[in-house]
Amino acid sequence: MIASLLASWPPAVLVPLPVAIPLLVCAALLATAHLLPGRTPDILATITALVVSGLSAIIAVQAGDGSVDYWFGGWQPRDGIALGIGFSVDAASGWIGAFIGFLYACTFVFAWGFFARTHGHFHILMLLFLAAMIGFCFTRDLFNLFVWFEVMSVAAFALTAYHLARSSIIGAINFTVVNSLAGFLMLGGIGLLYARAETLDFAGIAQGVAHAGRDPVVAGGFCLVAAALMIKGATVPFQFWLADAHAVAPSPVSVIFSGAMVSLGIFGLAKLSAVVFDGSAQIREAIPVLMIGLGAISAVLGGWMALLQRHLKRLLAFSTISHAGIMLIGIGTLSAQGSAGLLVYVVGHGLVKGGLFMIAGILLATRASIDEIALRGLGRGIAPAGVAMAVAGLLLAGLPVGLLDTGANLLHGSLTAAHPYALAATIAGGALTGAAVLRAAGRIFLGLGEDPGDEAGAPSEAEREKADRPLWLMLAPCCAMLALDAALPASWIHGMAPGAVTAFSHHALRGMVSEGPAWPAWASVAGALGLAAFALFRHRLPRLVVGPIRATQSAPTRALEALHSGLIGDYVAWLAVGLALMAGVLAYA
Amino acid sequence: MSPRLRLAVLGVALLALVPGAAATIAHLPDFGATIAAYGERINAIAPGERHVANMVSAINFDLRGLDTLGEEFMLLAAITGTVVLLRGRRGETLTDRAMRLPGRAILPRSEAVQLTCRLAGPLLMMFGLYVVLHATVTPGGGFQGGVILASGTLLAYLGEGYGGWRDMVRSHWLDAMEGGGAVLFTVCGLAPMLTGAAFMQNVLPLGTFRDVFSGGLMLVENAGVALAVCGGFTQLFLEFLEETREADGPEEPGEDSA
Repeated sequence: MIASLLASWPPAVLVPLPVAIPLLVCAALLATAHLLPGRTPDILATITALVVSGLSAIIAVQAGDGSVDYWFGGWQPRDGIALGIGFSVDAASGWIGAFIGFLYACTFVFAWGFFARTHGHFHILMLLFLAAMIGFCFTRDLFNLFVWFEVMSVAAFALTAYHLARSSIIGAINFTVVNSLAGFLMLGGIGLLYARAETLDFAGIAQGVAHAGRDPVVAGGFCLVAAALMIKGATVPFQFWLADAHAVAPSPVSVIFSGAMVSLGIFGLAKLSAVVFDGSAQIREAIPVLMIGLGAISAVLGGWMALLQRHLKRLLAFSTISHAGIMLIGIGTLSAQGSAGLLVYVVGHGLVKGGLFMIAGILLATRASIDEIALRGLGRGIAPAGVAMAVAGLLLAGLPVGLLDTGANLLHGSLTAAHPYALAATIAGGALTGAAVLRAAGRIFLGLGEDPGDEAGAPSEAEREKADRPLWLMLAPCCAMLALDAALPASWIHGMAPGAVTAFSHHALRGMVSEGPAWPAWASVAGALGLAAFALFRHRLPRLVVGPIRATQSAPTRALEALHSGLIGDYVAWLAVGLALMAGVLAYA
Repeated sequence: MSPRLRLAVLGVALLALVPGAAATIAHLPDFGATIAAYGERINAIAPGERHVANMVSAINFDLRGLDTLGEEFMLLAAITGTVVLLRGRRGETLTDRAMRLPGRAILPRSEAVQLTCRLAGPLLMMFGLYVVLHATVTPGGGFQGGVILASGTLLAYLGEGYGGWRDMVRSHWLDAMEGGGAVLFTVCGLAPMLTGAAFMQNVLPLGTFRDVFSGGLMLVENAGVALAVCGGFTQLFLEFLEETREADGPEEPGEDSA
């Protein structure tokens, strides 16, 4: 009956609601928070997130193989020129919106009562963050995209510094400076594109870009906008802010940061490169070099850095850099298969990484530490969390089950013939990050590895989060996310993907979406298990095996760690280097 | 990196960017050459279809109203974030009365300052209201007028002292103003949908061109913005003024009325 009711609605009516409802609830919460009884913000926020998720899913179903367009203020385009702001929701954008809503609902359950004393301020900022993400996914107007990009950033800055410890303030400042620079770059880029295309609607700009031919203004606009989105998407060499910010934000906030915010940067870049910039031969030439090159470096570098960490949230943050790099490679393939893989990967990665950050939060709350070495063997009392962490680690490494694997498999398929090095980088990224998580799980929950002795006392700030929630309440949303990742059937994705990608890219990307080879997933899992085992049982191996490895990896490792200095001046210098690199590639394309 | 190396890296990167930037700037449309097609189009349409003389308001509240809704909530996020961070350090306990340090002398305001502020305060508020109300006719609107209104309250601080200011300004009311204004703006978007129109479609009577009552729904949205901006900025002033207290010093409630 509900299905028949839905069919009789004009499909577009629902489109503004996933943005408007969280905005309305958050404004109402702000006005009345001091009057509301204790748990009301928690309940309201959870329900709102679920409603957003449901509405987005309905819109995604309605979109089918096309897209649902909506013009705000009733300003329909006249003579083909867009006057107002439009939303254009295709199946991929809609389902990603649904995933984001679900992620927030899980996070609100996870953070139940955690932020009780703040007059609902946490929920207000989170709901704003949610609305901005959905707007970012749905919009078809470049300036509107920028508005939601900025709302996301502003809400995120305050959430990062929430603990107000020295480390969290430094992390938040690095985050704020780098991401504000991203905002400036994006605004500059939009100005250039507007100067050439004289409109802000995606379709209109695409026409302008195609018409302009080889034009430094268009190339400059692309360079700035893409750099801004790659800063958000934590691509090397723009990635430095991420580890600082994600490591210090409260765990529920880190879930959102790593699960959705970073991958949205990549998602936005994928959408713009396909929809807006497809008409420029120069940019189409530059994209594979830039995205596959930088993505592959990010995948390996992030994974390697993850393996070096003992601070669990910092470890997970670096693994996010690695996986964001893998997604970026999907853009570089310029194929329907690669884009389909990247879109599925966004969702799968978000579910798994969100679950892992929740486990880090559980350790912070119940064991009052986040240091892998100090926590050795302390996880024995909370075995269910250990099982969840091991499962999530295996999924992250590429275990061929579930959504993350479906995405990775599609990506691998798009890389095997044309880009063998990129394929190797994605396998290495999965193996390294999976190994880091599995090593931590083994050490914390099984007490494996060498007895650290004095090493156990980490020279870092004492960190903990309030232990006011039962274990099951914190574990339930984590398991729900992992279960969803594992349960979604690959056949459903394969059936939907070709139409969804065509609609997502406004017909720029077409072609077959077929299953990739199975061996890369197994190679990645085997690599992860091997590396984790090596890290945990190194002290039992003969010196002959360990010695050369230690000797060869020590120097580059130290150099890599020195790069992540935590100094904002360094980060800005690297940002300029990245920008120059992109400009150079564009100039020679 | 050492500071010198960092500057060298930055310098090389910026040098490498120069040719690209120069090429881009050289190919931009000449200064003042033409108004872009989009702007041209809007200028032609808006006065006739929305009866509005101030084009900026027509764009902000009607044609590109969704952007302004986003900006409004960006401001709300920034203010809420500031409140969270400042209160987080000071402690959540919020008093509605000014606190004072025992033993610190309270310097009375001079009568000249007090008189000036009492005269200028209401005038400034009047001007703020004028700017808000004439959003659709002359330059200005809810954002600008709201900030003027909020700075009007600061004159009360200047003239009456901190205690007097805190007696007039209540944090919960400010929250209610800020949130209420934002609710009003969002409802302006949702309410037209009940009539079958699009989100934020201007369904109210449009009034007469160059009259205060022109622009229909824009006036309501503008009022919401003014309310939210005024409440939000005053909240910000309150938090910053509270910030001047010593975090851990001994304090007692008292009449800091001078």
